[in-house]
Amino acid sequence: MAITLDGTSGINSSGVIVAPDGSASAPAITNDGDTNTGIFFPGADRIGFAKGGAQCGEFDASGNFQFNSGYGSVATAYGCRAWVNFNGTGTVAIRASGNVSSITDNGTGDYTVNFTTAMPDANYAVVFGNGDNTGNITQSAYLYSSATYTSSSYRFTVKNNGVGPYDATVITSTVSR
Amino acid sequence: MNLRIIYQTDEGGVSIIVPADCGLTIEQIAAKDVPAGKPYQIVDASEIPTDRTFRNAWEYQE
Repeated sequence: MAITLDGTSGINSSGVIVAPDGSASAPAITNDGDTNTGIFFPGADRIGFAKGGAQCGEFDASGNFQFNSGYGSVATAYGCRAWVNFNGTGTVAIRASGNVSSITDNGTGDYTVNFTTAMPDANYAVVFGNGDNTGNITQSAYLYSSATYTSSSYRFTVKNNGVGPYDATVITSTVSR
Repeated sequence: MNLRIIYQTDEGGVSIIVPADCGLTIEQIAAKDVPAGKPYQIVDASEIPTDRTFRNAWEYQE
């Protein structure tokens, strides 16, 4: 039996509100007038999200977040765990960052990124992107030895045309894990 | 105030820590990101030279 609540006070409960499993085409928790969009429970310890009658996301039984977002199917998303964009020239300064407490300027084209919250281990992946306005567009960045690649920070060098360390105007880096 | 943390490297040069806007104080960042046991100073960013031509020749002064 469906129960309809009228008014604007909402539902207040000191107990548990139990919903059925539902499905992607008929979510257990949905919206009036858009009943094929909402939340459903595809299995034990799983929370699914549906849009237009199709599954678009899920927290799976392991706690992983999965989404489609043009991938073609719902699949686990691997998050960017830290990122930074900074100016390596003049007064070295961070433009913006996430999960980065600081960068260390060790010398010409020589930097360390320090995490606010450490990684679970040092088995993360790092990507760099660098550039400036002087035409020195053939730049690359390298991680230092594994000794400087830890769960709390990583050190790298930016080089110009493979010649030597170089201070670039725009230095960016992301960490995935 | 735009601050930096400086300390002497093992090679005799100087490292400069540039704090991010991460919710930690400069002291907390220093405690976390300066290598253990290294003396350090907190200085205004304006005290750091902007000409980096000879960056690797910079020296740390107590």
